[in-house]
Amino acid sequence: MNFLHHILGFNEESPLLFTQFYFWAFFALVFAVFALIMEAVPDRLGNKKLHLRNVYLMFVSWFFYYKTSGLFLLILAFVTLSDWIIAQQIKKSQISNPKSQIPKILLALSVTIDLGLLAYFKYAYFFTNMVNDLFGTGFRVFDIFAYVGNGFADAGRFSVDTIVLPVGISFYIFQVISYTADVYRGRIQPVKNILDFGFYVSFFPQLVAGPIVRAEEFIPQLYKPYHLSRRWFGVAVFWILNGLAKKIIMSDYLAVNLIDRVFDNPLLFSGFENLFALFAYSLQVYADFSGYTDIAIGVAMLMGFYLPMNFNSPYKSQSPQEFWRRWHMSLGRWLKTYLYIPLGGNRSIGFGTYFWWTMIAFVSAALTRWWWILIPFAAFMVGVVIWDKWAKSIVDRQSSNRKLLYSNLNSFITQVLGGLWHGASWNFIIWGGINGIGMIVEKIWRKMSWHVRFASMTVLTAGLCVADFLTNLPVWRLFAVWAAIIWIGTAIRYIYYLCTLDKEITNHQLQITNKLAQAWAILQTFTFITFTRLFFRSSSNLDPATANEVAWATAKNMVNQIGGAWYNEVILPFMWEFRWVVAMFVLGMIIHWLPTNWKRRYRLWFAKMPLWLMVLAVCAAIYMIYQFVTADMQPFIYFQF
Amino acid sequence: MRPYKVLLFIFACLAVMAVLCVALPHRVEIGDRSLKWPTLAEVFETDPIATLDSLEFPDTPGTPEIIETPASPDTPDTPATEAPKPEIVVPKVVVDSTIDCREFLRPFYEVLSESDRQIIRVLHYGDSQIEEDRMTQQIREALQARFGGAGVGLMPLAQTIPSLSVKQQLFMSERFVLPTQGPRRYMVYAPKRDQRTDKKYGVMGQMAEMNDSLVSGSEDIMAVCTPQGINARYTKWKIFADTSIHSTTHGDTVWLNGKGVVYGLSQQTETGVIVDNLPMRGCLGTVFTKIDKEQLQTFYEQENVRLIILQFGGNAIPSNKNPGTIAGIVKGLRDQVRYLKTCAPEASILFIGPSDMLTQIDGEWQTYPMVPYMDGLLRKMALEENIAYFSLYRWMGGSGSMLRWQEVGLAGSDGVHFTRAGAKKAGKAVANWILEGER
Repeated sequence: MNFLHHILGFNEESPLLFTQFYFWAFFALVFAVFALIMEAVPDRLGNKKLHLRNVYLMFVSWFFYYKTSGLFLLILAFVTLSDWIIAQQIKKSQISNPKSQIPKILLALSVTIDLGLLAYFKYAYFFTNMVNDLFGTGFRVFDIFAYVGNGFADAGRFSVDTIVLPVGISFYIFQVISYTADVYRGRIQPVKNILDFGFYVSFFPQLVAGPIVRAEEFIPQLYKPYHLSRRWFGVAVFWILNGLAKKIIMSDYLAVNLIDRVFDNPLLFSGFENLFALFAYSLQVYADFSGYTDIAIGVAMLMGFYLPMNFNSPYKSQSPQEFWRRWHMSLGRWLKTYLYIPLGGNRSIGFGTYFWWTMIAFVSAALTRWWWILIPFAAFMVGVVIWDKWAKSIVDRQSSNRKLLYSNLNSFITQVLGGLWHGASWNFIIWGGINGIGMIVEKIWRKMSWHVRFASMTVLTAGLCVADFLTNLPVWRLFAVWAAIIWIGTAIRYIYYLCTLDKEITNHQLQITNKLAQAWAILQTFTFITFTRLFFRSSSNLDPATANEVAWATAKNMVNQIGGAWYNEVILPFMWEFRWVVAMFVLGMIIHWLPTNWKRRYRLWFAKMPLWLMVLAVCAAIYMIYQFVTADMQPFIYFQF
Repeated sequence: MRPYKVLLFIFACLAVMAVLCVALPHRVEIGDRSLKWPTLAEVFETDPIATLDSLEFPDTPGTPEIIETPASPDTPDTPATEAPKPEIVVPKVVVDSTIDCREFLRPFYEVLSESDRQIIRVLHYGDSQIEEDRMTQQIREALQARFGGAGVGLMPLAQTIPSLSVKQQLFMSERFVLPTQGPRRYMVYAPKRDQRTDKKYGVMGQMAEMNDSLVSGSEDIMAVCTPQGINARYTKWKIFADTSIHSTTHGDTVWLNGKGVVYGLSQQTETGVIVDNLPMRGCLGTVFTKIDKEQLQTFYEQENVRLIILQFGGNAIPSNKNPGTIAGIVKGLRDQVRYLKTCAPEASILFIGPSDMLTQIDGEWQTYPMVPYMDGLLRKMALEENIAYFSLYRWMGGSGSMLRWQEVGLAGSDGVHFTRAGAKKAGKAVANWILEGER
């Protein structure tokens, strides 16, 4: 009875998670009914059979969401209804009068409702805090939904003083926006049946953490019969096991035994331990997030639905730009399609670019209270406008530079807003901004000649070394060491370039140098992305005051330890005492960096395994994973004082 | 592949795992590691994979665990009721529950009435739980608000761990240096390379030597120590150093010159209560006997030290699973108490035991089995030595209370350390407990 109550009732502290037995029991029951529908209902019923399947999965998904978020299910239902109606009306208006402005107004209405809900739940604290800081007011957030839920009263079943973020709202809001926008653009036809649409919005494997499935990718699958080849079945099982292993072995084990401890109190650990934890955190974030989506993809595939790839070995990237093509790909594609391109992409800058630039400037000034930074923001924008007008008026050869400027500006804004999407606090804005700057710098770097690269890197490194010498501050030491490492790499490549300037290079030599250059670029990109993680980890997604304070203190203390309390003598004892953690990290990185072909090969080898053997393999894998769930914690030790 | 085949596959996997639940032993020991697999009952009753989500704790932070006696932080413990791991047999500790151990602080309470005429010093030694002045600050504020006095008290010349109460910067020849780049530090609780052979560490258990290759004798050292918040009230400097060290002060700044040893800098008033925060990271607390007795006696007497707070024990927990070892450590702590009594016969002593501490056992966060045992032994030792005892563990709510503290942001994810908010709460509780005894 306890088991049934657990599986059917809502418990705020016990959501259905992929890493819990309850989820798999739930899934087994869901799949049993799913299989019954697919096997027992005759194929001649065609669309009716598919409709029945979709409706069934929609209600199952709603139950899943209820188990995860309780009455926030109503928000999900509301956006489903609202966007379904608006999309229908958009299509009707477009048919009745192709030149009508009504579709545009309806699209704006839909986006306003969706983003309004997202802003209310996700950014209420952020904006309230900002207004209070700015005007010295004492506003507090007020949960209007709780107020309504209490029968228009402040007190009752729900607290009106706190706004709880509904799980997965950032994901499904983006999905419904993509649907309405795709209907508006004519890329897809509106879904006739609201229950089918409800299924698209709420499909449970990807509901709470993605991948963000764009309408044009998923809607057509609603009307396709079940199809799962034997090989794809094996691949699906592989993804599920892969995801569980990533989440539990790589992510949770590293987090519990090292990363959380260091990030909670960096001052307890030496610079080396802080740096190791930072790199391990990079792996943890990847393993956690991609592990979840691997499971989601596998589970969906078992039911005959194909979700887009969300991570493509991102730490194999050779540049920040490439990283963002491999990391959280569904979000990247969404932002590109519905933000970057509407802003103008690399073709133009317009109202959107100016608007968001002004907003970023204003929010930055308000949060830091450095009002003077509005001046460089404004000066930059004025410079851009003047240069743009001037460049347009002269010959075409300038167009590539213009494109570069448009692209950089719009991608920077996209990155900052993408950062804000991850969480409502200052540190996520900084994180987005650093990523944006990293992409721009890399694009400019690529356009430089080797002479300029070497000269600029030399000047930068010298400048940072001087700053370190003059101030003796850990942050400058960190930058100086980092720059010196990059400078060494640049110098070697520059010397090689000079030596081979007039010489023929054999294919073999070229291959070797290309491999070395790739490895160097991968390490540099990984290091850069890891550095940005300093600002990514925050203790809270809601209260920006707390989140900012914690994130700032953590980042500052970690930098101070890495740059100022390194302690070489700690390295070996640490490696020995934390050998399992170190081994997990090294193993994780090795697997991550394995060639794609190798991965594909062992994935297919698994997929083609006889079913009886696969059952045993699954059980053996679960047994192994369980050892990490139940592993005792590494004892807490100190190496330095 | 047909859906029914997929279904059969899923159920086949579940069935094989269910068989394994029945057939395999729950735990197979291999050397110092073990392989585990849940029983069927465990699978259905609780979630073997979930950690925090599946645990329920009836107590809330601050609600003491009621076992036999009325709840109070200094009530005795009966750890046998707290379900340690079956394979670890934890002996039962029986302690007299009728004694209010604050009576042992009576000499301290009595001397407090003279705080308007003289300085009364309280030394708070402890492990990493008191770093950053997080707990001590609360005790200081409470005592100074009631009995006068101001200033953060002692601080080392080079502060490697920042303090919430005083921001400290070190300059050599007017150039900013990191604490690690300053004068050589020696600590009684450090590895051997940073220890001294003459035992002259001073009252803080650490000192800085201004005569090695890092600092030439003629080089000025400037320490800018800016008290924060309530500590920023007017105080005077007091420098504890060899006579060969020349010092001048102005405002928040101290200039030091010469060759010799600096034992500590202190911002304090001439009367009232001064409370010093003396953290010793990673220390078991068994180091006081390694400090020169004469040095300690001189300081305790001259500075009128009337209360010594010792907050240790936590560092013994993670690496010791044997009750015998824990008992040995408590015996070592008893030796320290006796030693300190001979160094400061006028001073009362208060021992603060370890907080609740968590570890993962079979995938679930649980209290280290040795925490209640150590708490009980420490309490027993305190009563036998006529010193006061504050059980942080029991005040928090006993076994598993650290989980609740984590959930409400009072404890860090390591299950061992408090957050700043948690340390503030604990510090306030200790301060209130001391003050209530005075009334």
